[in-house]
Parts: sequence; structure tokens; C-alpha cells
Amino acid sequence: MKRRQLMRWGCACFSLAASSAIASEWKAPTRFGRPESSSEEGGLWAIMDDEERKLRRSPFRLREDALSNYLNGIVCKLGGEHCKDVRVYAVRAPYFNANMAPNGMMQVWSGLLLRVENEAQLAAVLGHELGHYLQRHSLAQLRDAKSRAAIGQVMGMFGAAGALGQLAMLAGQFSYSRDQEREADEIGIQLMREAGYDPKEASKVWANLLEELRAIPENDPSKNSVLFASHPPSEDRRKTLEALALGSQGDFGTRPFREKVSPHLTMMLEDELARGRLSESIVLLTRLIGHEPSSPHYLHFRGEAYRLRNHEGDGAAALSDLTAAVQMPKVLPKTYRSLGYLHRAQGNLVPMAQAWDKYIELMPNANDIALIQQYLKEIK
Amino acid sequence: MKIEVLVLGLAVTLLAGCAQVSKVQTGDIPIRDRLIVTVEQPWNRFENPINGDRTPTWTNDGITVDALKFYVGLKDGELIAPTPTEPKGQTPLAFKSTMPTEGVVELFRTLYSRDGSTFTLEKVTPTRFLGQSGFRFEWSGVRKADEVLLRGVAWGAVHNGQLYAITYTAPRLTFFPRGINAVEKLVATAKLRQ
Repeated sequence: MKRRQLMRWGCACFSLAASSAIASEWKAPTRFGRPESSSEEGGLWAIMDDEERKLRRSPFRLREDALSNYLNGIVCKLGGEHCKDVRVYAVRAPYFNANMAPNGMMQVWSGLLLRVENEAQLAAVLGHELGHYLQRHSLAQLRDAKSRAAIGQVMGMFGAAGALGQLAMLAGQFSYSRDQEREADEIGIQLMREAGYDPKEASKVWANLLEELRAIPENDPSKNSVLFASHPPSEDRRKTLEALALGSQGDFGTRPFREKVSPHLTMMLEDELARGRLSESIVLLTRLIGHEPSSPHYLHFRGEAYRLRNHEGDGAAALSDLTAAVQMPKVLPKTYRSLGYLHRAQGNLVPMAQAWDKYIELMPNANDIALIQQYLKEIK
Repeated sequence: MKIEVLVLGLAVTLLAGCAQVSKVQTGDIPIRDRLIVTVEQPWNRFENPINGDRTPTWTNDGITVDALKFYVGLKDGELIAPTPTEPKGQTPLAFKSTMPTEGVVELFRTLYSRDGSTFTLEKVTPTRFLGQSGFRFEWSGVRKADEVLLRGVAWGAVHNGQLYAITYTAPRLTFFPRGINAVEKLVATAKLRQ
């Protein structure tokens, strides 16, 4: 209840406070040296160093160099000389989140990479996190916190890879203040502008995420998103970000973003559906299809989401998507399998057999061939 | 790795609070009055697992290490596991009497991966189970909570519109290879109670 009241109060004064800051130009601090190990900050760094060692070994870390170098490159564009102190790790986690620890460890979750549409939107989130880092907000929070569990809670803000499941709960209990969020927003926009990105993309990130979370009936996004638990969203915030970006122009970076992320797209989309939040996934995929209507990946996975959700009308929607996907030049072989499953459920045995014959032709050693062949045998 | 498993096991045991564990004797053992398996070696029966999941569960080394679960006669609309209250928007994992094999596999995929754990389907094949046509699938994955690499196998069949399934999961490197032969033998004895 207290947090809700605080959020309402924060929303009320956010626009005024933010608009007053637009005119003033923020100056980045010089590089941070490693703090004394006996100091409060040194203790926090030591804990985060330990978490970073675990993260480096984590099976959830995406180790591909091209992606890591790309993400580090964006941070270098944004962070200037601080680039040397930041290490970016892509993490396989199907939720929208990025975070940065005071020792320079930054995590970018695959669910974020799936949701942003271009490099500028990704830079908006990374710039925001850099803003927290450059202003040393986590240390300020630690000093403000009175409870003995403060360090544990601060750790929760950074979501050690092995404890992602607990992150939402911890972030809900202990998050950056509204003023700190506003400051990080302003810094993020400035870093985007200086790096040549179009700052107007920042507000779209929040608008897109809100749209997705609104797919759940009676949903309060501030409670049900890992990121929103620590970064409260509001229509005011979107408008403020728009105001901060007013009159600015810059690059979107759509092409390099897609090139670097596309090798991971199938994995990210499979993980997205495996969350079991199909209504949200359908909203997300509909948006992505709007930007790339000829992507067989997006059509396949939205078709799958409809097929698995199986609400009234979903069968027809799934059939439409999967049929469209198999017309694409780079159709996924498993789209034929899904189409066969769908036809079988709808009692259309001839197109079912045709789809599965194609699947067997393309994937003769697939892990479910025996099941498909059994189904085909049954109709003969 | 083993230490992490043991620590997690201890934590879950403490969280479970009043959960009871009893010994499963050898011989013919009825489960939910409708399924019988013949047990050759003793197991531990976990009476009241955490998170409201009342699926009969047996284990040798603790349910976060190895877990043998029995889904007995789930009717149309019945859940294979409770839906977490938070976050909202999770699709309830409800069995449907018309559900084909791939639908049942998807239920278990979502069950194992909805917390961010990974699930890779290794193989799904038709097989005999409970003396009738059924299915068997194998999977591997990494559990999010402790990053333990797991293997799993499941056998199932839909009988009179109701789902019967036995699943076994254990850490991939030591526990799964150690336990799978006994589980295979036990599953081969499973039959419906007359």
C-alpha cells in the first residue's frame, strides 16, 4: 500500500520535475577508481565481483562473441571513457530487463533483445542503466537503507543469473527512487543524443511494453513485470521521455541490430512461448510482424501461440499465420509440423498428411518423427 | 554442483515445513487407488510437496534432486500443477480429454520452463503404457533456480479421456544415469487397477 501511494505521489510530480531538468546539461563524471576494499562501496563491489564470476560460468549466459562485442560497442558509444570499466553480458532470460551493478557488470536479458525494435531502443535502455551507474545510485540506495538485509536487497536489484526468479520480488521491495529513475531517464536521453541515436525511440520502448502487459485482463503492469517492479511505468513517463527527446533526430540502427540478434531469434521466440503467457506473446508478435511482415519466424511463433492458446477463433488465426509462413522463402521446417498438428486437430487429414510429408522430407531425423509417422499410419 | 543441489534440497525441505516423508515398501503399491506399480527397491514418498502441488511424488535423494511423479486419471480441465498466483497472465496448465500427445508434451514443457528454466525436447515416441497405446518423451534442461543441468523422461497415455503419466527428473550427470534403470523397470510394471 505504501509503495502504491508513493508511486501515485511520484507520478504526480514527475512531469514537472522532469521538464525543469530538460534545459540543464548533465556532465559525466570521470572514470571511477576501484574503491578501498574496507569501505562500504568496496564491500558492495566485492559481492558484485563474486556474482560476476558466477555469471561468467552460468549456462544462461549467451557466449557468442558477435553479440557480446555488439552490446559492448553500444555501451562504448554511450558511455565514452567509462566504456573501459563496463562489461556487458547477454543472458538467456525471456523477460524484459537490463541492469547494471556498481562494479561495471551489465546484464542484458534476451527478453529485452526480443522486444526492442532497433539499436536506438536498445541504447535507450542501456543508456538508462548507465545513468544509474554514472550517478552511483546503488551506493546511494545502500547508504539510505537501514535494514541489515540491505546488501542482499541491493544484490537483488542486479539479479544474479542464478536468482532471476527472485528478482521481481526483491526489486519490488527495494528499488531506485523516483528521483533516481527520472535522473537516469534524463541521462539516458542525453547519452543517446550524443551518440547519434534518435532519442524519440526511448518513449516507444515503454509504450510497447505497456501495450503487451495490458493484454492480461485486470493486469497492473507495475506489479507484473520484472523491470516495471523497479522502473514504474506510467503514461506520464512516456510523455516526459517524448518531451525530453523533442526536436532531436538521429539513427535507428535497425539493420545492425537485426543482423546481430537474428542468430538467436529462434531460441528467444521458443523461450517466449515457453513462459506460458500466450496472450502477451500474441501482442508482442503482432507488433513484431507489423515491422517485419515477411518474417517466417514471427508468423510461425504467433501461429503456435494461437494454436496452443486455443481460445475461440484461435484455430482460424493459427491456420492463417502458419499457412502464410509456409509461403515464405525461408520457412522454418517445423512450421510444416505445426500446420500438420493443426490440420489434424481440425480433422483436415489430406492437408495434414501433405504438411507432414514435407516436414519429414525436410527433417528426416527430427526428434518427433516417430510420433508423426504413427499419426500418418493411423489414417492409412 | 552437488553441494548446490544439497543446499537447495535443504532449503526446500525447510520451506516445506510440515511436509511428511514416508517409506514406500516393496511389492504392489496402489497410487490414488487407480494405478498400481510393483516396487522392487524402497523409495521415499513425499506426502505434501511445496507450492500446492499434490501430485504423488517419490524420491531417493530429495525431490529437488530426483523426483518420480504420478499423474493419475486427470480429468478434462484438471491442472497438471497449480497456476502461480503471481505474476498474472500465466496460462493454466489444464489437460483436455481430446489432447493429443504433442499437447501433453507442451503442458509439461511449460510446467518445467515457465520460471525461465530451459527445456529441450530430446525425443518423443509412441509406446505402450498401461497396456495400451501411449507415448514417451525425453527432455533436458537447466533449472533456473540453481542452474543444475537436468534430464527428464515421461510416459503417458490417455485412457477413457483421462491422463495417466509418470515423470522422472534428476540431475543429468550422476543422479539420472544412476536412477533411470530402476525407474524404467518400475514403469514397465504400471497397470490400471481393476
